[in-house]
Amino acid sequence: MVSTKMNKLRALPFAMFLALAAFAVNGLMADVASAKEVFAEQAFAEQAFAKEVLAEEGAEGEGEGEPAIEWSQDVFYKDWEGNPLKGPVSGAPAPDLGPNDYNNYDFAPSRILLWIANQQHLYFGSFVLAVPIFCMLIEFIGIRTRESDPVLSEKYDRLAQDLMKVSLTAYSWTAILGGVLLFTFITLFPGFFKYMAGIFRPVMHVYALMFLAESGVLYVYYYGWEKMKHDPFLKWIHCSLSVLLNLIGTVLMYLANSWATFMQAPGGIDEQGRFLGNIWHVIHSTLWNPVGVHRILGNIVFGGGIVGAYAAYHYLTAKTPEEKAHYDWVCYIAMFIAIFGLIPLPFAGYWLMKEVYAFRQQMGITLMGGIMAWLFIIQAVMIGLLFFGANSYLHNSMARVRGSHRYMKYCKYMVLVLIVCFTAWMTPHTIVMTPAELKEMGGAQHPVVGHFGVMSAKNTAVNLMITTTIFCFLLYQRANKKITVKWATIGNCWLGAIFVGAACNIVYLGVYGYFLPANQRVGLSVPQVTTTLTTLFAGTAINISMFKDSESYGDIEWGTQSRVATYAIFLLAISFTWLMGLMGYIRSAVRLFWHVTEVLRDNSPDAYTLTIGEAGKILTFNALFVWVQFVIVFWVGSLTGKKKVESAAPQGVPVPAQQQQ
Amino acid sequence: MNKTFLSLIVTLGVALALHFGVKPMFLPKEPTMIFNRYAFFIVLVLSIIAVNLILRLSPVMTMKAAYVWGLGFYFYDQILYPHVPWTLFITYMMLWTIGTFLYISQDSKTFAEFREPIVKTITGEFKIARYIVFAALPVLVGMGTYKFIYPTYPEPVELRTVHPAPPATTKVHGKTYTLEGLQNPYRVDEQDNYYEGGTHLPVEGKFPFLDAESVEYMKYVTEGGTVFFQNCHYCHGDQLNGLGMFSHVFNPTPANFVDPGTIAMLRESFLFWRVSKGGPGLPNESTPWSSAMPPWEEHLTTEQIWKVVLFEYWYTGWHPRTFDEESSSGGEGGGGH
Repeated sequence: MVSTKMNKLRALPFAMFLALAAFAVNGLMADVASAKEVFAEQAFAEQAFAKEVLAEEGAEGEGEGEPAIEWSQDVFYKDWEGNPLKGPVSGAPAPDLGPNDYNNYDFAPSRILLWIANQQHLYFGSFVLAVPIFCMLIEFIGIRTRESDPVLSEKYDRLAQDLMKVSLTAYSWTAILGGVLLFTFITLFPGFFKYMAGIFRPVMHVYALMFLAESGVLYVYYYGWEKMKHDPFLKWIHCSLSVLLNLIGTVLMYLANSWATFMQAPGGIDEQGRFLGNIWHVIHSTLWNPVGVHRILGNIVFGGGIVGAYAAYHYLTAKTPEEKAHYDWVCYIAMFIAIFGLIPLPFAGYWLMKEVYAFRQQMGITLMGGIMAWLFIIQAVMIGLLFFGANSYLHNSMARVRGSHRYMKYCKYMVLVLIVCFTAWMTPHTIVMTPAELKEMGGAQHPVVGHFGVMSAKNTAVNLMITTTIFCFLLYQRANKKITVKWATIGNCWLGAIFVGAACNIVYLGVYGYFLPANQRVGLSVPQVTTTLTTLFAGTAINISMFKDSESYGDIEWGTQSRVATYAIFLLAISFTWLMGLMGYIRSAVRLFWHVTEVLRDNSPDAYTLTIGEAGKILTFNALFVWVQFVIVFWVGSLTGKKKVESAAPQGVPVPAQQQQ
Repeated sequence: MNKTFLSLIVTLGVALALHFGVKPMFLPKEPTMIFNRYAFFIVLVLSIIAVNLILRLSPVMTMKAAYVWGLGFYFYDQILYPHVPWTLFITYMMLWTIGTFLYISQDSKTFAEFREPIVKTITGEFKIARYIVFAALPVLVGMGTYKFIYPTYPEPVELRTVHPAPPATTKVHGKTYTLEGLQNPYRVDEQDNYYEGGTHLPVEGKFPFLDAESVEYMKYVTEGGTVFFQNCHYCHGDQLNGLGMFSHVFNPTPANFVDPGTIAMLRESFLFWRVSKGGPGLPNESTPWSSAMPPWEEHLTTEQIWKVVLFEYWYTGWHPRTFDEESSSGGEGGGGH
């Protein structure tokens, strides 16, 4: 039995190897890739030039009565020589908004109302984008395990279908919230919305049509589940539909992202805000890609958190051991996916911040050193909570696996590393202190902990925290396995060497960063991240390879998850909801008094930056409000299940043993 | 005797003996690599572990948690020097408390072991402990309340933004400068390549500090240094570490340029703006009324300001912040990235 189970794992090392190879080749091929990029850019510039010449010729050739095409310079894009790219003026300039362009209700500022509407829509949007990713993965695993373990395969399939059922309700809820958001924009900020609609008109229509496609695929995917379940070919088609569903969902998200990234870092318009005829430039502004990647990963963690919290609640209230076992297992799947998304998430964040700095130093400093810096300190606390929650769950889950006693002794050291790293991670550069404390310290910076205030220390800390989490995950994987391969000792040595080597390299690069100019120091984060990801890919590949022909100390006893682990899941879910709101607020509020940075000024009475306390209140309200809605959505989703219970035999009526479950 | 109780007595004894007897030896007037306060802390931790292991005391989880938490408190309160501000101390202790909780809750067995004496104390199984706790609790709360309401008059703390975002443009001596992309005219590039005497060709691979022949570059640096020592060092210090002779009367203290978190993280254009406009030119988020730095544009020429900036980087060995050309150019060729 064990060996058959292990057979299916053979593909995993191979997959991990492929992933590592792809990851490494990507780095090795950097020159080739950059050469291609240069070529593509050149071709693009030539194309733009030709278009410009043609347009000019066209303008000259036309009769005198025809208006000449006006050309203007892009605020962001540059041509091959570094001069601003020119384009034909194709839109109205950004308006100078006055009192008539803003409406308000007496009970709350318009900005707060819009913030709440936006955040609620985004929360639900994230959830309905994440759940299909879950379903795709879980259904795929179910298909792959069908032959080796039909019972487990059925469990996977049922779980994916149950999640989709909840997603269906959440989907219409998201659309309703989207409608609320749209009306809030139109009614409270008509002047601003008119300008945005003027530029993004075609994108908005494509967005609406994509929603139609998403709905169609979603309904076929959900309602066709039972019909396509039994035939292997149809089942693969069904699984492919989930891929299509995710593709459409991703395109939808990217289209919607373009509006936000345009507002923050516009491109494709001139200084007056006039559209220059290239819709791709407007969509593909500088922050579009990093925001997109960051949101995809964030959605996965968020979705994992919500599903995990849902399962954790049912686990705590379960009345039968079977129910407990099932929800314990669902918690495991949800957390597995959430942690999988959590590991690369900080790197996507770094990329985004790097691009923000590159766009405007002013914006970068406002975020990291200026008026938003204290919110970033709060963010650091929340991220720490996420890692603590994830590791606490892993430790507790590992403890209930037979054979884990061999590894549990390492847990306290992992906790120590996490805490020490987190201490460095959240030590602020500027400390709040009284003048007396300042004098005692002898200066604004502490001679010891003051060194933790810069990015070299923070990068090192976060990479070590992630590496520790990966190490913990590997121990969890092998907790119930007795390794029997001949090369077990060598494999363990390799694993040890990889992790110790990685830790040394990360620390070395961190210390080295203090001796380098700031721009080169930023570059050090790349080898640090590479080191961390190498531990993930190489470590997991070696670890899984060692499971071949391994003996089992016993299966995981589902239904014995500790209460601490269960509450850790709640902590993760709530922290992530709050954190999402916080980061969304920071990203949006960094525009300060601009609707569209440096182009369309916010002249409303709400164009001020909230105090930290006020922002915190709204964030907390948003997080609580969305969780109330999630509870309702899950309750609605469970109504179908309840019907089944009601149709069971009434009490007192004898039921034959064969018919009893 | 109960082993846990014995462990408590022994551990406290060792800790007190080391604190009063050995710690002074680790605090000589001239600290060395071996005899310093951090080395003492390692000795303390190892001694406590060793004495418990040798006597095979193996205290219960509750006691272990108390030791771990207590050692953390001792480190932040007594070892880390100079003492960190109260806000940071609270933050660190909060983290250490979370860490202690993760340690005790790593599995349901350790957590149950941790809870057991607490539950037994509350339910009355440990009678003496209950008497002590229920007697000590109101006393502690009372002391805490007394301390809390006892009037003290500290100066208020404030959240001050030290590096505010610079404006897009700044007007100095009648000329408007766009800060984005503004370069120091006395520097060839940010990596300290410099003009070789009149040739106006960058000389790569040489750091001017080490190159006595870099006449022109060093001339500007020297001029900048002269201006610095005539005007700035009274506050920013002759080592540029923010500890000038007047620095202690200012709150906040003058910037420490040696610190990796100040000029090393900023572009030269930022410094140009800050030096020119001084405290009054700060945005409200930086509480301009809390800065004593004068607007130096009223006392120095534009050239002098740039030379002072050049000197500050040269003296500290930092390089001004730069960004990838590729990223900041908006995607050359129009393709973005």
